[in-house]
Formats: sequence, C-alpha cells, structure tokens
Amino acid sequence: MNTDLTDKRSLLRHTVATLAYRGGKAVTNAPEGFDQFRLNEGTRTPGQILAHIGDLLDWGLSIASGQQKWHDSKPLAWNDEIARFHATLEAFDAYLASDEPLHAPEEKLFQGPVADALTHVGQIAMLRRIAGGPMKGENYYRAEIEAGRVGADQSSRRVEFD
Amino acid sequence: MDDRRKLLNHFLAALAYRTQKALRDAPEDFGSFRVIEGVRTPAELVRHMASVLGYARTFFVGGHYRPEALASFDEEIERFHEMLGLLAQHLRNGDALLEGMTEERLLQGPFSDAMTHAGQLALLRRLAGAPVAPENFIVAEIKEERLGPDQPRPASPDKIWPEAPKGWTSE
Repeated sequence: MNTDLTDKRSLLRHTVATLAYRGGKAVTNAPEGFDQFRLNEGTRTPGQILAHIGDLLDWGLSIASGQQKWHDSKPLAWNDEIARFHATLEAFDAYLASDEPLHAPEEKLFQGPVADALTHVGQIAMLRRIAGGPMKGENYYRAEIEAGRVGADQSSRRVEFD
Repeated sequence: MDDRRKLLNHFLAALAYRTQKALRDAPEDFGSFRVIEGVRTPAELVRHMASVLGYARTFFVGGHYRPEALASFDEEIERFHEMLGLLAQHLRNGDALLEGMTEERLLQGPFSDAMTHAGQLALLRRLAGAPVAPENFIVAEIKEERLGPDQPRPASPDKIWPEAPKGWTSE
C-alpha cells in the first residue's frame, strides 16, 4: 500500500469506504425475496440494481487503470451479488491505495462510477421501505467509516434511530 | 483551497448536476407524487436534502438548521441550490470546521446522504411514469462553480436504454 497518497486520492478512498458502509447496510437483512421485488414493469429489481453497482465499480477500476471497459452482468443470487459488491469495492480500493497511476482525475472517478453507485444505494434503501422492510435511520457522520474498510465486515457501533 | 476541499466542492457540483437531471422536464405535479404512504414525495426529499446540507453548514457557522416547508416545489428546489452555494463558499473560503467535524465526516454523512436522495428522486421519476434517460456521467460537464439550477444537458447520453418508455429515441 502506498502511504503517501495525495489528499484527493485519500478522500476518494474514503468515499469508496462510505459506499461499502452504506451499501452494506442497504442490502443486509433485507426481506425474503427482496432481490426480486419489482414495483412495475420498467423498474429495476434490487438484484438488478446491485448487479449494476458491481458493474459500475468494475468500470471505475478499468478507468483508473487505463483500460476502460463496460460489461452488463446478469444478477447473481442475492448473497452472491452482495459478495460481488464487496469484492469489486476491494479491487477498486486496492488500486486506489497502490502506487499505480490514476488514468483519470479523482473528480471524474467520483462524478461517474462512485457517485452513480451512491445514488443507486439510495434507491435500494427506498425500495426497502416500499417493500415493507425499511432500514433504520442513522447519523452517518458519526459512523466508523475508514478508508480500506470495504468488505462486508463493517462496524456494528452505529448511531441508529427509528 | 486545499485538495480535499476541492474534491468536496466537486461533490457538491455533482450533486447539483444529478439533482437537476432528476428534476428537469418532470411532470407538472411531480413535487407532490407519493408512491405510497411513508415514502417522501419529491418536494419532501428536496427539502430533506436542503436540511442535511444545512446541517452540514452548521459545522461552519454553529447553531441549528431545520427548514420549514415552502409553498411550492420550485421554491424548495431554489432553496436547495442556495444551500449548495452557501456550503461551497465555506469550503472555498477555507473556513474552519467546528465541533471536531472533518472533511471525511462531512463526506460520509450529509454530503453522501444528499447524493443517495438524488438517486431516490430519479427512482421516483421512473415510478411516476416519466423516467430520466441514462448518460455517461464521467464526461458530464460538472464544474465546481456551477451549483445552481442551470445545469448543462448530458454530454454523452446513452444510445441504448433497455428500460426506455415507449417512443423514446436517443438524442
């Protein structure tokens, strides 16, 4: 790991960790069958949204490493897709943490794949509420989020509320 | 402005862009669209977004921020953009953060909250029967100084949109 990252690159890593924390919360303990929940034709299911987030993170890594490519993946079983979500975060974060050059500015990586993924996490959270399995609210600024912590094992010390 | 604050400023600009994308050309009554009881309407979401950003601002100016409901959706949108501008000004000025707040915590808390809600606005557009066309956001013309409602059209709209409503054609 490069211990001398630029401030922007470090903050981008923190955003990726935020995505892991918030995304992990949105997909954990979802109601049975939630991945297939569809409000109407033309809306994505949570399973499709989560697969799309994985594709966005793969895309982000490909841009960062200078070999941009896009791939539409088919949704996996929900728990497998959650595992893929964290695996793609880990791969992206590992690159950001390395000595390798970024082939796009941090701003572009943020405004594209990372911000997109955050918006989709918000959509999964809203769909949980609509599906009758809302998440608890949380004061996220107090959450124990740290760069590099992007796996499924996120802090359980949370300031949550109903 | 230090680099971390530059990136936070860019975050706010991306938020302005994505929010306007979700609101542009919305149906007349979109502000009051309620998908089911217990889920915020777009007007309530935009007010909440102003609220979380106003909360972020209290870490520069102190005090509390609890916005009242405004008479129209347009006014809610205007206030949201005003709050983006005020917050960005603190970042540009290099104003000190209070109560132990850090740039990282601003990002993981209120800034990211607002971004997730921008995604919810887009979802509500779709549920209201007027979805927003996809684009390649990495080439979007997002500028740090551009925080108001006057945001550019997509630089690279998608040519293929599998979930497109009937009659949609790529620009």
